[in-house]
Amino acid sequence: MDGEALELFERSLDNATKEHTGQALDAALEDVGWHDALALELRAAISIFFALQGANNVSSSALCHVVRHALGLSARPEAGVVLPAIGRWDPPGTLNGRGLRVNGLAPLTLGVQESAIVMAATERGDIAVVVPTASLTLDAVSGIDPSCGLLRVTGEDIPTDEDLGLTASDWISAVALARLSVAHELVGASRKMLQLAREHARGRIQFGRPISSFQAIRHRLADTLVAIETADAMLDSAWLDATPNAAAMAKAVAGRHARTTARHCQQVLAGIGFTTEHPLHLYIQRALLLDGLFGTSASLTRALGEEVIRSAQLPPLLPL
Amino acid sequence: MTSAAGVATDIDDFRSSVESWLDDNQRVLAPDYQGNGTLDEQMEQLAKVKRLVYDAGWMRMGWPERVGGLGGSTLMRAYLGETLTTRALIEPGLYSMTEVLAPTMIDYAAPELAATMVPALLRGDETWCQGFSEPGTGSNLASLSCRAVRSGEGWRVTGQKVWTSLAQFAQRCVLLTRTGTTESAHRGITALFADMHSPGITVRPIRTMHGAEEFCEVFFDDVAVPFDRTLGQVGGGWAVAMDLLPYERSTSLWHRAAFLHRRLQDLVDAAPAGALDPAKLGEVTQLLYSFRARSRATQHRMARHEHLGPETSIDKVLLATAEQAVFDLVADTLTGEVTIGDDSISERWRTEFLYSRAATIYGGSAEIQRNIIARRLLDLGNDR
Repeated sequence: MDGEALELFERSLDNATKEHTGQALDAALEDVGWHDALALELRAAISIFFALQGANNVSSSALCHVVRHALGLSARPEAGVVLPAIGRWDPPGTLNGRGLRVNGLAPLTLGVQESAIVMAATERGDIAVVVPTASLTLDAVSGIDPSCGLLRVTGEDIPTDEDLGLTASDWISAVALARLSVAHELVGASRKMLQLAREHARGRIQFGRPISSFQAIRHRLADTLVAIETADAMLDSAWLDATPNAAAMAKAVAGRHARTTARHCQQVLAGIGFTTEHPLHLYIQRALLLDGLFGTSASLTRALGEEVIRSAQLPPLLPL
Repeated sequence: MTSAAGVATDIDDFRSSVESWLDDNQRVLAPDYQGNGTLDEQMEQLAKVKRLVYDAGWMRMGWPERVGGLGGSTLMRAYLGETLTTRALIEPGLYSMTEVLAPTMIDYAAPELAATMVPALLRGDETWCQGFSEPGTGSNLASLSCRAVRSGEGWRVTGQKVWTSLAQFAQRCVLLTRTGTTESAHRGITALFADMHSPGITVRPIRTMHGAEEFCEVFFDDVAVPFDRTLGQVGGGWAVAMDLLPYERSTSLWHRAAFLHRRLQDLVDAAPAGALDPAKLGEVTQLLYSFRARSRATQHRMARHEHLGPETSIDKVLLATAEQAVFDLVADTLTGEVTIGDDSISERWRTEFLYSRAATIYGGSAEIQRNIIARRLLDLGNDR
């Protein structure tokens, strides 16, 4: 896409995420040509859309499309994809002699899809299978963020026959791309939180002056901007680096920094930011949930440290 | 050199050529002391490396031809300092003074002056220092009072500077002086390029917590500086300072990232089994790689000739955070070495740990960087 086409694409996605959520947003993504973009302009499609999904606090099945794309299964749009359980990144399925066991998450659209693609751990390594949706138990997630548009997907002893011929390395690539997507959504949500806090700080008068004139407030907001720009720089670096390790680092930093952003912005917004009359709480709750998708910042960070200790090597550096 | 691809090809060629040259010349480039060396030894080593690297042409790459450079992308300068640091051939804080002061001379000195002086700095024939801070002027730079008055053929300078890095080694000084009234604040400042051997200059090194005498007090007692050594406009010193400060937060920070990476890897190598906390190590690694990712983007913006401004304050906040995090992890992991070790390896860890405490103080404190971010990047208006 050239500059003009990119701008148009971004504007269409901005409108779509401002006006729609859930299945309506999925339909809008079809209209805008986001799926084609995913195949042709992967980075632009992911970075632009997920940042907007985060900024507008909406939900869609885009993350499943990303995973399906990374698994090379875009030709099977009729099948949903089961995502890992909260906080995890190993395959959501395990396959043994009795059949498939599933513990994962999926967007609401899985409920209207005939079948589901499930990555599953087996004694022979990871494989991908397809099962009828009817064989799974789907429960809408309410939790901390009832508008997240997710289903809890479980099942026991499900018979499977179709092996899609994928391996653990396919799953690793899919996890990496999903992490970049969620990281962009976290950065989008973080920027919106900062915008809300900044507007409040400039307008709110106490002691006869805007609270944005107080250094305690200014430094919190400055730290917030540093946190967000850092997460963005890590994402930029991860796209160029294109390794699963870099994607994991970008996701961990985006998650931790979104939570830092939430803490600072809530403090600046103070009372009003603690009510449901102000939208801030939606972003705070969503940020915590997103931090849990494909590994929390805490678990990814510990895993990185363990790997550095085990290998006695820091991760490779992205060259200048 | 307009397309991104053009820059990339350029830097890739440079990288492989300079690496093979450094491999071939490793023995002559290596320091002739063990461990960290004294400051005098480090300065001698720096001069040696700069001379060899300049004479081979590498140090001239990325600098304009009118000051003895060979032109090309500034990424080559960033890469050269990075690899010299990674190979432990230079101490990056000393090396990077060039990256701060040479661009100022190029932008603000009379062309003949820049053409004469800059090559001597690049080649390591000279050391320059930066006379900004004063006893009464720390964070509030615009309040400086070191006075320059016009007299006959030039300026006469009287006053005091402090925290002047490497003044005891320096032949020249980029100096901020008060030429207007005290009330004129940032409007009454003029930048000068002074010779450090001029009569009336006294340098007194300051002994700091980390044991090196890197910073000095400099006293000016009626020191003569010729008019043609004025940098920029008379009364225009604030612009010189504001354009210089982002250079403190660009290439020199990229070099510092290379140093921190080397030392964090050294820590991983040196840590006894079970001593490193994986969660902390993971977080410190992420902090360092994030700082480097940010600084990398800044190097590319500089190479595209974009103006560097207040957004570089984010780079400085990240450096200070990463540097202190790395050395806090050192102190937590190599506690014996840092606290009671008396061998040269322990002393080095201790010196670097102590120096890292200054990262939130020098080059604009952590608070000043946040003030800049709040006012200039977040547009939060004045703070009073």
